[in-house]
Amino acid sequence: MQIRDNLKNFLYDQEYYIDLYQDYIHLYDYEKLVSLSSTSIEIKFKSFLLKVKGQNLRIKNMDKKEMLIKGLIEEMRLYR
Amino acid sequence: MKKDIRIKINSSNPSSILLKLNYKGISVYNVKETKDGLEMIIHQDDLKKIKRLFLLYKVDYIEEIGLYRVKNNIKKHSLFLVGCIFAILIFFILSNIIVKIEVIDEDSTIRSIVLSALEEKGIKRLSFKKSYQEYEKIIEEIKDEYKDKIEWLEINVEGMILQVRIEKRIIKEEETTSSPCHIVANKSGVIMMISTKKGVSLVNIQDVVKKGDILISGDITLNDEVKKSTCASGEVYAEVWYQIKAELPLTEQISHDTGKMRYNFMIEKNNQKTVLLKSRIKNDKRVENKKLFNIFGYSFYLQKEYEIKKNTITYKEDEITKKAISLIEDKVKLNNHEFEEIISEKVLQKEIKNNKLYIELFMAVKEQIGVKEFHT
Repeated sequence: MQIRDNLKNFLYDQEYYIDLYQDYIHLYDYEKLVSLSSTSIEIKFKSFLLKVKGQNLRIKNMDKKEMLIKGLIEEMRLYR
Repeated sequence: MKKDIRIKINSSNPSSILLKLNYKGISVYNVKETKDGLEMIIHQDDLKKIKRLFLLYKVDYIEEIGLYRVKNNIKKHSLFLVGCIFAILIFFILSNIIVKIEVIDEDSTIRSIVLSALEEKGIKRLSFKKSYQEYEKIIEEIKDEYKDKIEWLEINVEGMILQVRIEKRIIKEEETTSSPCHIVANKSGVIMMISTKKGVSLVNIQDVVKKGDILISGDITLNDEVKKSTCASGEVYAEVWYQIKAELPLTEQISHDTGKMRYNFMIEKNNQKTVLLKSRIKNDKRVENKKLFNIFGYSFYLQKEYEIKKNTITYKEDEITKKAISLIEDKVKLNNHEFEEIISEKVLQKEIKNNKLYIELFMAVKEQIGVKEFHT
């Protein structure tokens, strides 16, 4: 069953993911952008709220499912 | 494909703009903060939504992005681009065309011979230049064709001018004719005809001669004493015999055109041939190539593909015998036995075995057997 779930996840890409790079965060399958400032960004996912704190934070790319945030990331916290 | 555009939204609070855009589900890319707002790339379809959403802000359209921008730029500068392409084409064509052919030699006869030979090989004024290999091939062909007139030939292409340098062949006739020589038989046979131009004939008609026998002597004698030696000349014809074996299959595959023809294109470089389009003749075919032009060593050909149908023909015994005899006659001619006529021929042995005809033929032919042999 796990293989099936993994395959389903791979093929349908339904699950969220958060990729953290040197000065980028790539978010997939978010629901809503809640708040935005140069030091803090709040993004709502299906089952939690993600708070990103840092300096000079700004949204580079954004569409219905994906978002790319650029800046010096200092903290990431999930609120369930 | 969606058309992307770059816009600028003037606002002192860029965060609120992004929040609103996110709320409305509008995709934005390459967002940049400027001193008086935000610059971003959006889909053109979203522009109306954005203008409606930010009624109080100034939304400026800056430019198109991606392929559409390229397309528009091409459209805008189409005349210039067409001009450039045309100029490049003209440049390529002109740099690959021969406008003048210079044959460097004092002899006008040789010059006209070489010019007409070059024209036969496709090198003429206002024709496309050929590759180095093709020039080499043409040089060899001309040298072979006029081996008694041309010793050496060189083709140089300088810009749009083709220069041909020639070294004439000087035949030292005097030396050969002044050296004493006899006419000797190059094969055995029965003498049929003698025509002596110079020298003394040593054989008569109906004489049997062996290979190496002197037929016309260059030595002029008086009372068994050689008074003068000259180079004998003349022709001696003899009846010469050949006994030849051959084998031929009773069946033969013959192909003929069905009338279906399709065009194709081919590029050739360094003897590597690449056909550009997929062949539309599915069955057996034969191909004819017509050279269109030559650029940077690449030769472009128009190909004509003809559909062919193969038929197997089975010969009867008398038919295959006739064919075999004709083939043997050709074979004798091909082996440089340039005989004048066939006096008689007889089938010595004939056998049909394993779908093949085995034949042995005797031929008596009239042939010139006299050749010059120099001596001191």
